[in-house]
Amino acid sequence: MSGPETTPDNGVTRDDPMLAAEWALGLLEGEELLAARGKYATDRDFAWRKEWWDGWFAPLSDGFPGAEPGAHVWEAIAARIAAQQPAEGPAASAANVVALEARLRRWQWVAGLSSIAAAVALVWGFVLAPARSGTDAQQARTIAAAPLVATVPIGESGLRLDVTYIPESERMVIAAIGLTPDGVHDHELWLVPAGGGIPQSLGVVAPGEVHSMPLPHPLAEALEKGAGLVLTREPLGGKPEGQDAGPVVATGAFSRV
Amino acid sequence: MAAHPRPRPTNDEAREALRDAMARLAAGDQAALEEIYRATRVKLFGITLRILGDRKEAEDALQDVYVNLWQRADRYDPARASPIAWLAAFARNRAIDRLRTGKVRGGAVPVEEAAPLPDESPLADALLIDAEQSAQIHKCLAELDPRTQEHIRAAFFEGYTYAQLAERAGVPLGTMKSWVRRGLQRLRACFEKSEAA
Repeated sequence: MSGPETTPDNGVTRDDPMLAAEWALGLLEGEELLAARGKYATDRDFAWRKEWWDGWFAPLSDGFPGAEPGAHVWEAIAARIAAQQPAEGPAASAANVVALEARLRRWQWVAGLSSIAAAVALVWGFVLAPARSGTDAQQARTIAAAPLVATVPIGESGLRLDVTYIPESERMVIAAIGLTPDGVHDHELWLVPAGGGIPQSLGVVAPGEVHSMPLPHPLAEALEKGAGLVLTREPLGGKPEGQDAGPVVATGAFSRV
Repeated sequence: MAAHPRPRPTNDEAREALRDAMARLAAGDQAALEEIYRATRVKLFGITLRILGDRKEAEDALQDVYVNLWQRADRYDPARASPIAWLAAFARNRAIDRLRTGKVRGGAVPVEEAAPLPDESPLADALLIDAEQSAQIHKCLAELDPRTQEHIRAAFFEGYTYAQLAERAGVPLGTMKSWVRRGLQRLRACFEKSEAA
């Protein structure tokens, strides 16, 4: 679509691949930049195209003259990494997330691959059906100690929530990397016991962040027995006291990895 | 076509070593990070320094690059890019993010640091990005008219936005967007043609 008769202001169709190119080159700023970032997190084709451009532009980097950073840079990196190493206690929860993340790297890798290939290494809850079958629960009990992973795809948006439970530390890691706050709603995550029962709130999801939290024992037990996950849309701050939960926007189930 | 032939052996070895270190890092081997840092810091710092134009900012950006790499080594997909190409893009993206969100200069590299726009002759660095792909982008760029080429290169090497490019060239923003977009469209066609070949 590059007709020579087009006006200078409207010379070329600005489709997604073009936006990806502009972003890869670094031309975008302000709202356009934010929009591109959002799209990257939610739109797989767009993300692919952005990386395609990155890959093509990358060899130009050979034209940047090299430069030696100060010796303190490595020290700072090493210190930051050391600070994120083994940490205990609530104050260290951010560090814990990182430590857990490092350990989980391989499993998340698997999750990433399977989501791309739409493979079935993980159970995907596409249907709004919280009930878990008895066999799931039995399986869950027989294979102890391996982390439980749930991928919660949100509608057709391409967004997803990755929830991982690590039995040995009784912690749950909730990664809402692709999510962006809309300023009007929050999303609350619920654990729904197998075979029904009262859903237990796991709290409001922090968009764009990875959080780790200790999972109280009864909840951990419910989870081991095959509880499912439900994500509801709520007013900011989560479900108001005394009111019904908002609409279910996504569900997911755990599987061992 | 070999736009700039250069000796390969050390480069290949360095790249292999880097690939290996990236794999080990992804597998959780922390020591690999230091190896990666040693092998790539000069190149990556060159990138962040050029884009940010400020040593302190560039060093902070460099720190972020490696800490982030350590946290998310799994994001690197060896099937898609050579490690150094990926790291270079990563470092440049981080620097530009910083430029767009921070209060850093925006456009003005201190005079003594304002080297002329890098030309096509790559450095005698042990870690050069894939020669074939490198030759291809230079070839595709060379097919653009010199003016468009210059704007695209300025955006890449200086981190200019459309607005800055337009101001610099003394043309309306819309005109600059149109020039650059047309150039990008041609580049895409050229890249795709070479991929199909």
